[in-house]
Amino acid sequence: MSRRQFDNWLRATIASVRVVLRKVFKPLVVVAGVSVVVAGCATNAPQDTWQPKGPNSKLIDDLQQPVFAVAGIIGLIVAVAVIYTMIKYRDRGQPIPEQIHGKPALEITLTVIPALILAVVSVFTFGAIFKLAKTDDTQMIINVTGQQWWWEYDYPAQNEFGITQPIITSGQLVMPVGTKVLLRETSRDVIHSYWIPALNGKRDAVPGRVHTLRLEADKPGIYAGQCTEFCGLSHANMRMEAVALSKEDFAKWVANQQAPYVAPAKETLAQQGEEVFLNQCVRCHQVNGLMRADGTPAIAAPDENVWSGAAPNLSHLMSRNTFAGAMFDLLSKQCRDEVWNAPSEVVGAKYLAGVTEECLNQKDLRAWLRNAPEVKPMYANPADLAVSNGKYRGMPYLALSEDDITKLVAYLITLK
Amino acid sequence: MFSTGFKYFLGVTVVSIAALIMSLFVLDQLAIAGVAISMLITVTALLAGIATATHDGQTTTSTPDSSGELATQSIWPLVSGVGVVLLALGLVTSSIVFFAGLIVLLGALVEWMVQSWSERASKDTNYNALARKRLLNPIEFPILAALGLGVVIYSFSRIMLTVNKTTGASLFIIFGALVLVGGVLFAIKPNMKRSIGVAICVLGALGIVAGGVASAVSGEREELVEAAAEGHFTHAECGPEASKYFDKLAEGTLSLRSSVSAIVVYQDGELIANIQGLVKPQKTLTIGRSIPTNIVFRNATEGEFRLVAHLGDKVADESTDGETHKNETCTQLVAPGAEQSLTLKISKPSSAKNAYYLYIAGAEDKKIELVVP
Repeated sequence: MSRRQFDNWLRATIASVRVVLRKVFKPLVVVAGVSVVVAGCATNAPQDTWQPKGPNSKLIDDLQQPVFAVAGIIGLIVAVAVIYTMIKYRDRGQPIPEQIHGKPALEITLTVIPALILAVVSVFTFGAIFKLAKTDDTQMIINVTGQQWWWEYDYPAQNEFGITQPIITSGQLVMPVGTKVLLRETSRDVIHSYWIPALNGKRDAVPGRVHTLRLEADKPGIYAGQCTEFCGLSHANMRMEAVALSKEDFAKWVANQQAPYVAPAKETLAQQGEEVFLNQCVRCHQVNGLMRADGTPAIAAPDENVWSGAAPNLSHLMSRNTFAGAMFDLLSKQCRDEVWNAPSEVVGAKYLAGVTEECLNQKDLRAWLRNAPEVKPMYANPADLAVSNGKYRGMPYLALSEDDITKLVAYLITLK
Repeated sequence: MFSTGFKYFLGVTVVSIAALIMSLFVLDQLAIAGVAISMLITVTALLAGIATATHDGQTTTSTPDSSGELATQSIWPLVSGVGVVLLALGLVTSSIVFFAGLIVLLGALVEWMVQSWSERASKDTNYNALARKRLLNPIEFPILAALGLGVVIYSFSRIMLTVNKTTGASLFIIFGALVLVGGVLFAIKPNMKRSIGVAICVLGALGIVAGGVASAVSGEREELVEAAAEGHFTHAECGPEASKYFDKLAEGTLSLRSSVSAIVVYQDGELIANIQGLVKPQKTLTIGRSIPTNIVFRNATEGEFRLVAHLGDKVADESTDGETHKNETCTQLVAPGAEQSLTLKISKPSSAKNAYYLYIAGAEDKKIELVVP
């Protein structure tokens, strides 16, 4: 093909593309617009910011609704004015009209009106900020730690809630309804951000600092959230759920979390699974009360293997509904739906039932144990760990045999 | 037919496609790079389409005037090349080299751009050179002066770190006096030859730089070496007595005041922890495993006290027959009414009671238990 022929071909191609673009542009805009509008009608939207379920989120909602309305009306007026001007005065070859400058009355008016609107908005905004920052009426505190890519919750001893020894869990934050809970957030590695839209706004979790966030739920239920500060490879998979239980149900949950470890029965598959756990998993994962064969407590040493220095504590794992940073459900879909869609009066009982053998999501759990980095992106390739002194960020591939996985699953299901 | 914008964006698109293909072969994990380059390709292709559809937003075309003057020789392409090399080198070596490359590259590009512009200003080479100077000299001179002064000041600081305190104070006085004398000399002799002034300044600067080099070779004075060996932030002996260097210049002020894990107060013979969210003072403090935890110690007594964190017992090496010694870290001796922060990071859970605790040096019964779940 000569250069002239190539030029002609390229011109023809571009002309064709231009024609196609002109033809599809308007339908594309319409489809995109309709999609955006229709997306607002979604019913399965657990992270909808416009459905507050607690006093803190309602405070934000009461502020943002009128602000959004005012901003929306102003935005609409501006958009209509701009579009009208663009169409009416579009370039049709007419001479440029006379340029004028200086209309003090108009300019002052157009400055003062927005300033007044912003001043009014700021008064209510500051009021809301101060109310949300209050900590002196706290009834319960929970320490929250972000780590690539999961959340850890530890409950310091608080006798008024029956917590006589620290409780440590992950993935799901369990709290009593109608209680002013103060989260004390920090991070082990990079900056994360904690956000349960139904219960309050976002708050960054920063290494070396303790930031506080108030949470309070009106009714029992499960409220979804998401890390909202980009924190690395699996940021999108760093999820969390807040489980609000009635005070009676919360007391039951606390009692279960403080229950001593029950070793699996001898000569069972679960006991063999415990041995696999002691050989493989206990290097990073703690199970409180688990003893080694020599009678000494099995203390995990995640700081020797994991860059950020910790791994989820798996005590009472099956009292949770999720694993791997709440990315996967421990419950099968049907059982999960039964908990999530339960009326608030019975959601506590359904949640406290935990994960039974029939409800266990074996597929995802086995896939996780088989090769975790394959199902959740993590920095866990041994060849790429020079920058982290050979330590993992996330769970590595453990080369477990299918037999070992079966034993481990049988053991994990006993961690009620 | 093909607008300039279209050619530009098409070129970037083609280069990006080439980069994507190369990265397929070079990178093991293509996830982030692949997404980023694909997005770049999409965006630049879209921009190319928009550019050609709108003819770069031009309704009329014009041909730029050409002065017809040939460009003079320039060092800036070479310097830009050095900047690019440093930039690339910095990507695989260190951020310092990267930023040095970035500065060199940006500086060279600015110089190159202004030089090119000035060479087209007119057909008069002298006027063009003047135009360049008028634009760039107000930027170049302060930067060069700052760099020169930086070298002199740094050299002077090396001298100060080497000589003893008395000599240092004397040198400061002499140096200040010399500057004053020089200023007076220039003021009373306004017609003094410029070369003499330059010679005085250059000789003075060279003297200081030479002194700085000699001092750097000789090393810091013994007192500073000892203090560094003792450690400003870690202190092996957390006893109640004052340390020669560790407790020197303990500051009564503290920048870290908010977002701390707890404020530990020693008052009326009691050690308590105030934790945000809990109304009552606490005698136990729960801190997360492997989390850098900041604690503020406030001494609300009349004496000087040190807060010590007992972090368990460490087993010494085999030469001491497995003898254990305390694993502790502490604040400096804190003056009455003053505060100081202490950062803890504990990687093992406190399985036994009182495995970890905070206490006041010399009064071990005043303690707060640290719980690491």
